[in-house]
Amino acid sequence: MRSLLNFLARYNNLIIFIILEGIAIYLLATGNSYHNTHIVNGFRGLTIGIEKRINNTRNYLNLREINENLAVENVALRNSIDRLVKRDNSLFVSVSDSIYQQQYTHTSAEVIDNSVNRQKNFFTINKGVRQGINIDMAVTSDNGVVGVIVGCSENFSVAMSLLNLDFKLSARIKSNGSFGSLSWNGRDFRNAILSEIPQHVILNVGDTIETTGYSAIFPEGVIVGTVKDFEKSGSDFYKITVSLKTDYKKLHFVDIIGNMKKTEQLKLENLFR
Amino acid sequence: MINSILRFGLIFIMLILLQILLFNNIQFSGYVNPYVYIMFILLLPVEIPAWLLLLLSFMTGLIIDFFSGSPGMHTTATVLAGFVRPYVLRIISPRDGYEPGSDPSMLTYGFTWFFTYTSLIVLFHHTTLFYIEVFRFTDFFRTMLRVIISSVFSITFILLAEYYRRGK
Repeated sequence: MRSLLNFLARYNNLIIFIILEGIAIYLLATGNSYHNTHIVNGFRGLTIGIEKRINNTRNYLNLREINENLAVENVALRNSIDRLVKRDNSLFVSVSDSIYQQQYTHTSAEVIDNSVNRQKNFFTINKGVRQGINIDMAVTSDNGVVGVIVGCSENFSVAMSLLNLDFKLSARIKSNGSFGSLSWNGRDFRNAILSEIPQHVILNVGDTIETTGYSAIFPEGVIVGTVKDFEKSGSDFYKITVSLKTDYKKLHFVDIIGNMKKTEQLKLENLFR
Repeated sequence: MINSILRFGLIFIMLILLQILLFNNIQFSGYVNPYVYIMFILLLPVEIPAWLLLLLSFMTGLIIDFFSGSPGMHTTATVLAGFVRPYVLRIISPRDGYEPGSDPSMLTYGFTWFFTYTSLIVLFHHTTLFYIEVFRFTDFFRTMLRVIISSVFSITFILLAEYYRRGK
């Protein structure tokens, strides 16, 4: 007993260090994983008030730009309404049974916390479970890929940005339909890497890259970006640098897309796995 | 005693606010992420008991983690920095040893000493932090570049802040 006490007294600082470092590593191991709601419920919940206040100030400074974007979006929406109305008139179609037709739900939200300078970037939006947001919904902005929801609380959600080393997306080249896997390499927030495209595929700089819709998260045809540069790496595949459509530094209003038929699709796919 | 608690409390709050409101928002090419809150660990008195130093490091890291949404990352790095601080102080101790009850400041021990002290601990802290953040050894040298560039910015800031603090 005495020698134990002596031991404790002698190494007490080392023991305190090991305990504290143990707690830190425990937090590190449990708090950062993909699809983990602890981030929202524990950590973000505490600081959300302050983040909101910081964001309010930032919004005020960016008002001019936000207004311009909204105006552009309004014009686009008005144009599409016109198009739809005309089509209805010309075809004399009046049946629109939304139960069987609508596959995706759209909710707009505001980004209240965002980063681009880490290796694993997340952002927070101001809608949560109460507004119908759920884990695994897609986040887009101006029809460009932004990220995936990974955690929700009552009124807030955290999404994993495309700028995250853990983010993988099934994407294809619009012109010829060959698909590969898109991920970020942690370097530049303007570029991502598309891999697994075989070398016989004809490629041009400027080709559009869009989502495939295979994952049941993103709808088909959401634009990711354009081909900026490509090289033949040692294997049989191209390594394509994609210039991203979304400007993550200016991210403000986003569109959350939920797939109403996701459960059905996954259930069916799991039957054959 | 009360006086010094107040003083360090003020320094603590100021550094945390600077880090959260200013330095966390620097989004410049992904290579420059200065973490200046470590200055708090640097400025604590030389003779502070090691357990208190460790606890304060833990608290600092945890608060920064709360605001950066990165549970555990800063805590791990800061506790480690707090742990090595006494050893660094011992290695670079001036010839006549430390004056009892003094702070490790530029005024007392000179620019060269303070620069070495700051560089060693900041480099140690940043290396741990950035490698934990990436958590893989691909792009090893790119992460090292990030560590070096960010450290240069952090060290510059800390030296400037210390220089102006001296005037008080």
